[in-house]
Amino acid sequence: MLTVSVEQQAAWIRNFNPFAAGGARWPTQGGIYEPLMIFNSMTGAWVPWLATGYTWGQDNRTLTLSIRDGVKFSDGQPMTASDVVFSFQLRRRFAALDQGAVWRFLDPDAGVERVGAREVRFTFARPYAPGLAAIAHSVIVPEHIWRHIADPVRFTNDNPVATGPFTEVLRFENQLFELGPNPHYWQKGKPAISALRMPAFPSNDQANMALVTGEVDWAGNFVPAVERTFVSRDPAHHGYWFPLTGSTVFLYANTTREPFDDPRVRRALSMAIDRQRLVDIAMYTYTRPADGTGLSQAYDRWRDPSAVAAGRQWMRHDVAAANALLDRAGFAVGQGGMRRTPGGSPWESTIYVVSGWSDWIRAAQVISRDLRAIGLDAKVRVFDFSPWFDKLQTGAFDLAVGWSNEGPTPYAFYRWLMSTRTVKPLGEASLGNWHRYGSADADALLDAFEATTDHDAQRRLVGQLQQLFVRDVPAIPLFPNPNWGLFSTARISGFPTADDPYATLSPNKLPEALLVMTRLVPTGSAGSSGESK
Amino acid sequence: MRFALRRLGFYALAAWAALTLNFVLPRMLPGDPASAMVARFQGKLEPEALDAMRRAFGFTDASLVEQYLTYLRHLFSGDLGLSIAYFPAPVSDVIGTGLIWTLLIAGVSLVIAFVLGTLLGIVAAWRRGGLLDSALPPALAFLGAFPYFWLAMLLLYLFGYELGWFPMRHAHAAHLSPTLSVEFIGDVAWHAILPVTSIVLASLGGWMLSMRNVMVAELGEDYIQLARAKGLDSRRVMLRYAARNALLPNVTGFGMALGFVLGGSLLTEIVFSYPGQGYLLIQAVRNQDYALMQGIFLMITLAVLVANFLVDLLVLWLDPRTR
Repeated sequence: MLTVSVEQQAAWIRNFNPFAAGGARWPTQGGIYEPLMIFNSMTGAWVPWLATGYTWGQDNRTLTLSIRDGVKFSDGQPMTASDVVFSFQLRRRFAALDQGAVWRFLDPDAGVERVGAREVRFTFARPYAPGLAAIAHSVIVPEHIWRHIADPVRFTNDNPVATGPFTEVLRFENQLFELGPNPHYWQKGKPAISALRMPAFPSNDQANMALVTGEVDWAGNFVPAVERTFVSRDPAHHGYWFPLTGSTVFLYANTTREPFDDPRVRRALSMAIDRQRLVDIAMYTYTRPADGTGLSQAYDRWRDPSAVAAGRQWMRHDVAAANALLDRAGFAVGQGGMRRTPGGSPWESTIYVVSGWSDWIRAAQVISRDLRAIGLDAKVRVFDFSPWFDKLQTGAFDLAVGWSNEGPTPYAFYRWLMSTRTVKPLGEASLGNWHRYGSADADALLDAFEATTDHDAQRRLVGQLQQLFVRDVPAIPLFPNPNWGLFSTARISGFPTADDPYATLSPNKLPEALLVMTRLVPTGSAGSSGESK
Repeated sequence: MRFALRRLGFYALAAWAALTLNFVLPRMLPGDPASAMVARFQGKLEPEALDAMRRAFGFTDASLVEQYLTYLRHLFSGDLGLSIAYFPAPVSDVIGTGLIWTLLIAGVSLVIAFVLGTLLGIVAAWRRGGLLDSALPPALAFLGAFPYFWLAMLLLYLFGYELGWFPMRHAHAAHLSPTLSVEFIGDVAWHAILPVTSIVLASLGGWMLSMRNVMVAELGEDYIQLARAKGLDSRRVMLRYAARNALLPNVTGFGMALGFVLGGSLLTEIVFSYPGQGYLLIQAVRNQDYALMQGIFLMITLAVLVANFLVDLLVLWLDPRTR
């Protein structure tokens, strides 16, 4: 029995619909149902799963996946290429199911078809290499069940039939539910653990208390002072691993507003911030300052050292250089060291953060203090999430602390940060690019990236994107977010650690957590010690 | 009977006003539900998918009047709509999972606080100036000044975490499934002790003080003197003469208090991971889940109105003058 703490809810609502928009219980999207392939963010490789491999066709307009033989759904029926085709066509018929938005790049007519017994071919409307990730991470549902569901968008799927390691709902009560193993799981002898147990914890405090007292085996919540509060309680069994592979946190400056449209000003803001102090105060030293590319550790393989070196010029904490930049930009120093804009009015601004997000609020307070050193009077304003997000999305802000995009490649990350295609007019809600920065150069590089599947070419393009980012400073990187992962080996062993980084430890990261779920074994059983490959 | 009918009419009007407020208030929150929804996808949702989802959630651009009429029509057919925070679960299902636990905690605490507080008030007034009368009211007033959840956190830390005497969370132990067995009911009671105690401690003072004050005034009345002069048993005078008449304000307050206790227990529930409505309401507000907010407010409103109506009937029985 593996007790997991992932979702924070006071009571469980039964929902195992893998297409449900954020409402399905963990691990519906990677544990109950499974994707075609899993991106391992630690190795940077695609792990074959329900598909055994993929090949790109001519001009990268088609992608063919080979479907694994011998996979069965939990009701004993075989999973075939038809189920794969059906799962994608379902997303087409009901657009609300298409969270990965695969039908925005697939050809509307020939999009997905079965070729041969075990192959499925995807035809793209245009060459689109990032489409691999969206397709590979789409989960597969059984056609013989979902064919009969009249409204799959509103279907709660109380008793899932799926290919994953845990499919049987043993208990479902409002404060606890348990999932038993799939009797027909395709990986022989797995899962080695008898069941998953999910107790409901409404808050981080409650989850942490259960973690500290040893009731939880695997958790993905934030724990303050983890060595003292958690590890020291049972050093032989308690462990954690917080790799910096989460999304990078940025200080966004609205580039549609003066003077933040001036890259010199954005550089000056960046140099004014003492990032080391910021992560020490705001993040309990769990992270480190970002570099000028903004890339988190998840993209280490893509990082261009020359871009990092160039970025150091405005990422270092250098108040004197920041002041010199502002002097040149025409900001006169007035009374008490505070500056005036080139237009002559006092230079004032506001940093928007979300109430209750205490780490970011502290970060904003540190930034606000640091900015005074360069003569900018930036006040911190706290909003509830919804109004904060509304202002961010519609571009009604000066400065704001916010997250950035995550994905297998830095493509989406930079698309959000600097593509003209993600810039929406002021007043219109935008899911990304809140600072509204568009660069035609970036568009050209992103287009070239979409068109090539050659890894070296992609790396070159991402390198150029980094150079471009470092040159123009569209947004100000602060620090990469850690992916929280904690475990206790008192009952269950085989968790990934910094010494054995076979996958991300955090259970929050689906479907990657599938790689962990299928490796875990009861402590003391054969294979629980030493090499458990 | 006519009185009861008149009261019923009044409650119908109050219910309508509450339902309307219920509709208006969530919509006055800044922000909009569509963008709140994206919170759960931080950086993992493709923009193209959002529009389709928005349509599926049934976000409409219909005018407020139209929305209001639809809302009333659905309400009368018992349809509370679909929750957005827990999409695609219907609001009635979402509320249903926790309602019984909230009612249990709030109801039990309210009854205990009322009975205990009233009794203490009677005794304190009867032995005016005694130890009970001089020590307890200030102490309880002090405790009552704390917010419910603060007392709850204190109890949780002391008796749950440090001393380990009571369970720290949930309504029953994980190995028990809900049945009508003695073991299960005992376990539920065991788990309810800390949350109930925290609410009782916070609300006891109010009941005791108001009972004591009215009772003291009542004890000065001529009919009490007469009863004593007649040589009636002092317990009979205390309970049947003075207390029965002094009880009226407290009984009237009972209906009102239900609203406060329901509101306060929401926070207590969160502290103890109690599977009631508390966290649901927070989720609903965070996600601008209008349907769920309306559902929860509706439940609270109805509970308070029903309780007040029952109290009216009770007062009618206690005090014939109101007829």
